[in-house]
Amino acid sequence: MNRLRLLLLLIAALAMPGVAATVDRDTAQLELTQAITSVQAADRDDAATYAPGELDEARVMLDSAQAAADRRDWTSTAVYAERAKMAGDLAASRSRQHRAEAATAEIERNVETLRRQLTSYGGAP
Amino acid sequence: MNTSQRHWLLAGATAVLLAACATVPPGPPPEVVRLQNDLDRLHRDPRVADNAGSELSNADAAVDALARSAGTLDAEAYEQGVYIADKLVDIAEATALARFAEQRGMQLGAERERLLAEATRTATVVTSGPERTVRTETVRTEGGQLVPRARAELMAMQDQLPGVESRLDARGLVIRLGDFMFEPGRAELTPNAEQSLDDVARVLRNDADAGITIEGHGDGMTAQRAVAVRDYLDARGVDAARISSRNVASRDALADNDRRVDIVIRSEFR
Repeated sequence: MNRLRLLLLLIAALAMPGVAATVDRDTAQLELTQAITSVQAADRDDAATYAPGELDEARVMLDSAQAAADRRDWTSTAVYAERAKMAGDLAASRSRQHRAEAATAEIERNVETLRRQLTSYGGAP
Repeated sequence: MNTSQRHWLLAGATAVLLAACATVPPGPPPEVVRLQNDLDRLHRDPRVADNAGSELSNADAAVDALARSAGTLDAEAYEQGVYIADKLVDIAEATALARFAEQRGMQLGAERERLLAEATRTATVVTSGPERTVRTETVRTEGGQLVPRARAELMAMQDQLPGVESRLDARGLVIRLGDFMFEPGRAELTPNAEQSLDDVARVLRNDADAGITIEGHGDGMTAQRAVAVRDYLDARGVDAARISSRNVASRDALADNDRRVDIVIRSEFR
């Protein structure tokens, strides 16, 4: 539910005129830290191999967030960091999906090989 | 009805129509409609619907919140809301499909175990049969084909590795360990890979003359993985002195996501 809470908070905050300017440094830094953690987690999940497009997008967003933080533009930092976090989470999820599908395909090939071998031996697979 | 009356009637009807148009609420923005359609598709897909957890509920709630707030958001906030809702929908789909594949993998794994038991029993009968003539220079295979003795020995070895991805090529008997046979980003074997290597070690222990080369295809990580495979076989009784290893760096292999380790059992080993 954490992502939904963040979404609702973000929508509520940005929808109120002038409130966006109140995103402070601490909030932006917290978002940035969470984004870095998310992208690092996707990297560890081998997203570079199994979800390269999603991981690239997360890195681009993270770069934008860090550039905004360098400019002390805390609102943009929070916006890009939130995007980087979501893109990083998606990269990790896609990586898990594609790894699971590859492993399953491998087992499926094994099963087919076994069935063929058993059939050639005259067994009943 | 005279002309003047008809004009008044027409004017009145037009006014009513214009008023009706003005009071019809505008539909949801196209991005929201797209997201709602994506969610509908996920709910209809049994692979997703049957494996959906809180991720799909989060995506539902986010798109619903966005649809309700769309009219009050400024352009930047709306764009941010669409981006986040989009990602939540994709995460819900990917997570559910991962669960689906994992469950299917478990079912297939159980089927493989059953077939392995059957195949091992059958192979034992075949290899101990009186017709086996692999010690002659040229031998006849089960299918009646005449092949060189060394080749036939590799084929016999392959028969003893049911369930392990292998093939015979010019290099010899090649057992392939794909990227997914290692823990992500690490030189650590998965339980699946260990199970395959246990079978390989069993076969190699029974044929002490077989020459073995372990090839890492890809980047530096595959070199570490090749070492992990050699160490694993060594720990399972295959003397590491019998094993040579080399790394085959290939930009193409990396581009194709084809990082792998090949165990090559050489055909000219006798």
